[in-house]
Amino acid sequence: MPILTIATLTLREAVRRRIAAVVGALSIALVALIAWGFWKLNAAIPMKEAAVGADSALTILLAFMFSVVLGIGSAFLAASAIAADVDSGVVLAILPRPITRTEFVLGKWLGLVTLVLAYATIFGTLALLGIGLATGYHPPHPVCALAYLVAQSVALLSLALLLSTRLPALAGGVLAVALFGVSWIAGITAGIARALHADALAHVAAFVGLLVPTDGLWRGAVFDLTPVAVLLAEASRETSNVNPFGVTSSPPPAFLAWSFAWLLVVLTAAICSFRARDL
Amino acid sequence: MTPAPAIEALGLAKRFGRITALDDFTLTVGRGEAFGFLGPNGAGKTTAVKLLLGLCRPTSGAAEVLGAPLGDRDARRAVGYLPELFRYQDWLCPREVLAFHARLAGISLSSRTAQIDEALEVVGLAARANDRVGKFSKGMQQRLGLAVALLGRPALVFLDEPTSALDPVGRRDVRAIVERLRARGAAVFLNSHLLTEVERVCDRVAFVDRGRVVAQGTVADILGAARAVRVRLESPDEIALAILERYGSVDAKPPWFTLRGIAEADVPRLVAELAGAGASVHAIEPTRTTLEERFLELLRAGHADLDDRHTNPA
Repeated sequence: MPILTIATLTLREAVRRRIAAVVGALSIALVALIAWGFWKLNAAIPMKEAAVGADSALTILLAFMFSVVLGIGSAFLAASAIAADVDSGVVLAILPRPITRTEFVLGKWLGLVTLVLAYATIFGTLALLGIGLATGYHPPHPVCALAYLVAQSVALLSLALLLSTRLPALAGGVLAVALFGVSWIAGITAGIARALHADALAHVAAFVGLLVPTDGLWRGAVFDLTPVAVLLAEASRETSNVNPFGVTSSPPPAFLAWSFAWLLVVLTAAICSFRARDL
Repeated sequence: MTPAPAIEALGLAKRFGRITALDDFTLTVGRGEAFGFLGPNGAGKTTAVKLLLGLCRPTSGAAEVLGAPLGDRDARRAVGYLPELFRYQDWLCPREVLAFHARLAGISLSSRTAQIDEALEVVGLAARANDRVGKFSKGMQQRLGLAVALLGRPALVFLDEPTSALDPVGRRDVRAIVERLRARGAAVFLNSHLLTEVERVCDRVAFVDRGRVVAQGTVADILGAARAVRVRLESPDEIALAILERYGSVDAKPPWFTLRGIAEADVPRLVAELAGAGASVHAIEPTRTTLEERFLELLRAGHADLDDRHTNPA
């Protein structure tokens, strides 16, 4: 099946170009460092309650770093997935074969998603296991949190793949990362605007967050990594004292449905854009 | 039932904004025929191939490849293509590149290995089958491109400037490959500006200039249209010159006068007329026109025609 042939080639490229090996080795070193850091931190905090608070906050901070690395990595990988093949001319030998452009785009997408899923699952699981072993702290919903992180990266890589059908690799990557940043800033702005009762600004920021739903998905991961006690404390704060980085509820089903529809629209746009392109 | 032609194009045109890359492209290439598509750089040769392969969409016109509309999936199973800009995954080895294309082409698992080995053997890469493509010279990458184009025993092979990176040995190998393809009934569409190569291997040719086909036919026809004789006349008078001009265009370098466009059957009559008018004909001999000379002649004629239209836009 052509989609699987292209997806397999995409995965093999990551392995052969040593992207997977380098990222994997760095990640394992990082997991070891994280576990050691958490172990030392817990040894320095005598009170168990305070240690749980610090552990959960640090876990979220690490997850944030992980989400940024995963997002930027996905964006640049996807931005070059089609553009590099077009620029080099590799695609000229592939597309006259009995494969449709839809299959080509979907094959690239499937390969990249598999790569992100594999990396996020392996690294995320190892990091959480490392923290658990070093401190005894286990976040409330680790699987859901990982699923949100993967969903965020899949959304971003799909957007970068769409850009890759028309823009050179570097331009597409930079633009995708910039939109990722815009979504994140929009989420923070919405939180601040709500605290200050600046309704118009809050609505605009929320709208921008819907255009690129990566921040909303990230907040889903934060919710699933935050202990119930911390969530309750966040919820009981004065409105004017709300933490714009924190969350008090999981993303509503309507947002998840919107994110899924957004993904389908972006993928369809990528297919249509590439089908209409003269090579 | 006679199979449909390998290529049948009717009025294909491609415009990129205000630039016309190809206009009124009409031609037929039969099964088992080696067809040379000639033209200067930027004439529209690669655009024509890309249109026929479905890599570009035509602005107007229609075409069929192996009896199917452009882009048809089944027809593409039987098409091989060596692009002018040949690049393959530099992190793979030739055997892996061919295996990838074999999977895409739907070649059965049982015959895949044998076909890959055969393609590598034909292009002379069998000994380097497991080396990384990234370490290959341009010539070797072009050989790999040829192997990719030959995979799956295609019924139609497009070769776009297939010898651009090859040495004389490689060029001879390409000629042998084209002859071999033709011998087993495959059609070859050869894009090139190496006219000597084309003259040697192609049954028919078409010339394209500034997006338009300016001449097409068998190599013999194309060269026949440019048949010329050289006549040696000592001090010809005006009557003798007028006789020459009646038979074709005259290029005078006394004592030799080259007469172009004269039919072979008219040569004895010309000699008789010149002798009757009292001209002293010392020698008369046919000249051999190469495809290259004919090509340049057609280009000059086309450019002169365009200049005339610019000067007298009536």
